[in-house]
Amino acid sequence: MSDDRPAWSSFSYIVTNLARFVRPDEVTFSGVNSTPPMLACLMAKRAYDFDFVYLNVAGGVQPRPSKIPISSSDPVLAEGSTAIFTNEDFYDLCTRGGMDLCFLGAAQVDGRGCTNVSAIGDWHRPKVRLPGGGGGAVMLPTARRAVTWRTEHSTRTLVETLDFVTAAGGMHGVVTPIAVFVKRHDRLVLQSWHPDVTLDTVQERTGFSFDATDATPTSLPTARELAALRSLDPDGQFERDAQLQ
Amino acid sequence: MPIDPGPKFVPLSELAARVPDGASLAIGGSFLHRGPNAFVRELIRQQKRHLDIIKQSPGYDLDILCRAGCVAKARAGIVAMEGNFGLAPWYRRAVEQQQIELEEHACMTLTAGLRAAAFGVPFQPVGGVHGSDLARLNKWVSITDPYGSGQQVWIVPAIRPDIAVIHVNEANELGDGRVYGTYNWDRIMSRAAKRVFLVAERMASVRSFQDQPELTLIPSFMVQGVSIVPHGAWPGSCWPLYEVDYPAVEDYLSPQRALETHLTDAPETKEHVFV
Repeated sequence: MSDDRPAWSSFSYIVTNLARFVRPDEVTFSGVNSTPPMLACLMAKRAYDFDFVYLNVAGGVQPRPSKIPISSSDPVLAEGSTAIFTNEDFYDLCTRGGMDLCFLGAAQVDGRGCTNVSAIGDWHRPKVRLPGGGGGAVMLPTARRAVTWRTEHSTRTLVETLDFVTAAGGMHGVVTPIAVFVKRHDRLVLQSWHPDVTLDTVQERTGFSFDATDATPTSLPTARELAALRSLDPDGQFERDAQLQ
Repeated sequence: MPIDPGPKFVPLSELAARVPDGASLAIGGSFLHRGPNAFVRELIRQQKRHLDIIKQSPGYDLDILCRAGCVAKARAGIVAMEGNFGLAPWYRRAVEQQQIELEEHACMTLTAGLRAAAFGVPFQPVGGVHGSDLARLNKWVSITDPYGSGQQVWIVPAIRPDIAVIHVNEANELGDGRVYGTYNWDRIMSRAAKRVFLVAERMASVRSFQDQPELTLIPSFMVQGVSIVPHGAWPGSCWPLYEVDYPAVEDYLSPQRALETHLTDAPETKEHVFV
């Protein structure tokens, strides 16, 4: 491989595996506070041969942004759009069944793929007040598929029992720096794991039990995936800002 | 509805002075983008108290109001500084120390409440919410479709802000306002609120509004007050005029940096432009 970076960094693992959830011709959405999915959607546009309808929280409809912003809700993400699809528009689209793939944030995820983005500890007397779920409670149960990511894979982020259920309905996919989970029969099962760690490590660091019967090591990034991500983050600033090991 | 006494075009200080302590205030924009931040800072300078802040995705605005002790209650869907800044620290502390009351929403349940107010009905159905603890927390009710589909739908009570404050790119001398790029949630906020205040980057001719009336987001008959404040969304962005001033946000977040200094740095202290 001509690239001198390792095949997978934690950062490229998360962004690329999020991008791999994007499917041809589908309506796909990235929201606020969502840098990895924003990069994943832009990457999928560059790395894959198929097209899909990319919508984002800045009102973008198939945008062609002139720069990649730090904020995933930056208005530059609507640049080059032929329409502005505002916040009410994309939520209504989702609740009436028109959102195929929606990326949503989470602090804790349980084995059913439900999420807590509200508080650690008792909601009324929180140890940590988290940002809140934004679209989660409405979009997770109504999007055809929703996918989330965690930059930390640990028993405090992937938990048996959530401190608070901000959004139910169950994630279709969860990506961490070392694993990719997908939903099967209302449970998350392991789809693949980072080839540099063992399956035992994934199990030790996951707070909920999961089936790993069909899991395989995650396939390495393709040359096009690597090139696409490099073109979005040429000087590695997004990777440094993500502060992943 | 009677119009507020006093002129429509006023300096920022007079516009902010029309907000009574305890008012419920819907704030336009989203996170660091096109929020009426100069207006928010003016509320702090005037030491407003017990405000009830309504916004789907606040960040800097709610955080700085919490920092200054202006907030009694917040109704919000997601609160963060965004970008690389993460959580909103003074907001977080205010909630954790129970200094403010939080009514946690999903962005769309808050919008449903605003829609109810805008539609003139007491409540509004909203999609989703099934299985979320937010319903129990907020004592929301679900109803079965009275027309027989069997669907269970959550309903949210009306949310009628006393005032919506919207940062627009341009206003004209009549008080119409328009926004370039996405208007986020500002349209429904302006329809739900009892009164609407605009903070505009600049004036544009009535003729230019007449040429393209479809660009107008908020018609003048709905607007009770307008101030012209160039760079008024600082340190946030106002598309397509300026981007987020990230060093200024970093500066704001630095615990070593006094709030006073940040308030003094703000552009509205340097430019007093109004009609």
